[in-house]
Amino acid sequence: MKSLIKALTNGILRANPTFILLLGLCPTLAVSTSIDNAFGMTGSVLFVLLAANVIVSLLRRWIPDRARIPTFIVIIATLVTIVDLALKAYVPALSKSLGMYVPLIVVNCIILGRAEAFASKNNVAHSIADAVGMSVGFGVAILLISFVRQVLGSGKLELFNVSVFSIPGLDSNPAAIFLLPMGAFFVIGVLLALFRWVGVSECE
Amino acid sequence: MTKQRGSAYPIVFLTLVVLLSVVSLTLIDATTHEKILAAQEAEVQEMLAALFPTLETYQFEETSGLYTILAEGAVIGQARMLQAGGYGGAIDILVGLQPDGKLRGIRIISQQETPGLGAKISEPTFLDQFVGLSASEVELSKDGGAIDAITGATISSRAVADEVRDAIRDSFQEGGDD
Amino acid sequence: MSELIAIFFSMALVNNMVLGKFLGLCPFFGVSKKTSSAFSMGIAVLLVMLVASAVTWPLFHLLLVPYGFEFMRTVIFILVIASLVQIIEMSIKRTNMTLYNALGIYLPLITTNCAVLGITFINIDQQYGFAQSMVAALGAGVGFTLVLLIMSGIRERLDLADVPKVFKGAPVAFLIAGLLGLAFLAFGGMVG
Repeated sequence: MKSLIKALTNGILRANPTFILLLGLCPTLAVSTSIDNAFGMTGSVLFVLLAANVIVSLLRRWIPDRARIPTFIVIIATLVTIVDLALKAYVPALSKSLGMYVPLIVVNCIILGRAEAFASKNNVAHSIADAVGMSVGFGVAILLISFVRQVLGSGKLELFNVSVFSIPGLDSNPAAIFLLPMGAFFVIGVLLALFRWVGVSECE
Repeated sequence: MTKQRGSAYPIVFLTLVVLLSVVSLTLIDATTHEKILAAQEAEVQEMLAALFPTLETYQFEETSGLYTILAEGAVIGQARMLQAGGYGGAIDILVGLQPDGKLRGIRIISQQETPGLGAKISEPTFLDQFVGLSASEVELSKDGGAIDAITGATISSRAVADEVRDAIRDSFQEGGDD
Repeated sequence: MSELIAIFFSMALVNNMVLGKFLGLCPFFGVSKKTSSAFSMGIAVLLVMLVASAVTWPLFHLLLVPYGFEFMRTVIFILVIASLVQIIEMSIKRTNMTLYNALGIYLPLITTNCAVLGITFINIDQQYGFAQSMVAALGAGVGFTLVLLIMSGIRERLDLADVPKVFKGAPVAFLIAGLLGLAFLAFGGMVG
């Protein structure tokens, strides 16, 4: 039980995929312009990572060592396509917003990395815990970045088209740079430094 | 873990996995196909309804790219998608035309202009200027027309105005050369 | 012709893979510490982008579309890329050992490079023809290499600079990337 909890919390703090391992940055930075996107992307990643970890873990004794990576790739690509189609059908607005970054989850180092490093060597229960932990860690990271970018870049916060709050003065003249790609780089750079300063991660 | 299996095993296994993938995806695609098409239809409908609130149905002609808007059995207007070359890339514009040849209005469907400057072409203050204009009036005010360009975004503003004006003149069946 | 030039510059500069589309970030931060390795990685990526585009475009338009299998796009494309990388690696190993020693270690990493899969998707989504796709891939690869080279040049100098402790390494690299992105904004309007 203790090892299950450890597998779960590992992905949130100690080995946070975004802030510590610096994995899967492409989707994180690309879609973090709004927290709607952040939720959508986290949900997609959770589904794919969970399903992939479970499948790989279940099949781990049959997967031939030499065809290991291609097998992982096909499994993950299939799951990603399922998510992509499901989003297009049921939440088309979100699908449009996330764009090609959903199919790009297939090359997201987080998922391939966990399949290779963890799920192929551990049982299903631990693989599930690992998947959930990593997804939560990813989710926290992308939500944090999206929050900062959306608030500073548009002056207000909207969740699924419902306004949560807006900062007067900022919402009519927001710092639009944060919605641009370079804003994402600045935000994550500062956040990374912040985490080191606070002691959560180690300096180089 | 040494596995005593034939050397063909990896290939067999992989082929099986790929086959499973194709099968499961074909199934999922069959399930979602209709919904995806319906979602795209709804999107077009919503887009046209922004210009023609009383819209009931529309007809789309593939070759000319013309949308004919109908309500209560009568044609209440036409619409067309345009693409203008803006400052930062392509600007997709939806143009609506009234039966009398004047502009119903325009909507910006997608653009990559500079936020805070050219991106303001999507805002009502810019778009509302186009309502009810005839082709010759669709020019920037500095060029003698009725459209006030966005401050600091002349290129974006002009790109939109030029494309809309040309569309009214050339490709709509009503309208024509005032 | 002018359209092809526009596509090239759009992919290389205005909509740069790394700075504009966030694709190819892992190698960007992992390999950009030394100029020589940055150059090798960039060329390797360019090569794979070109070959991948050349193979995936006909596959999609001549095989997947006519038979209604567009939804298999992701699976097929990534398998193609993975196989291509293997094949390219093996052929370089057999023909040119010096080239292999320079490029070889980076090639496997390219399979998971979002920029390569990304450009194959972009070729389809933008409805490019074959020639346009190849030019787009060329532009994307050149742009990627360019940014990687600039970044490595800056980071080599940064190693000797007095960076605050908490910023050393990844954080300052991101800030530099942001500044680079700002600089590249100046290319906007070039292709309008």
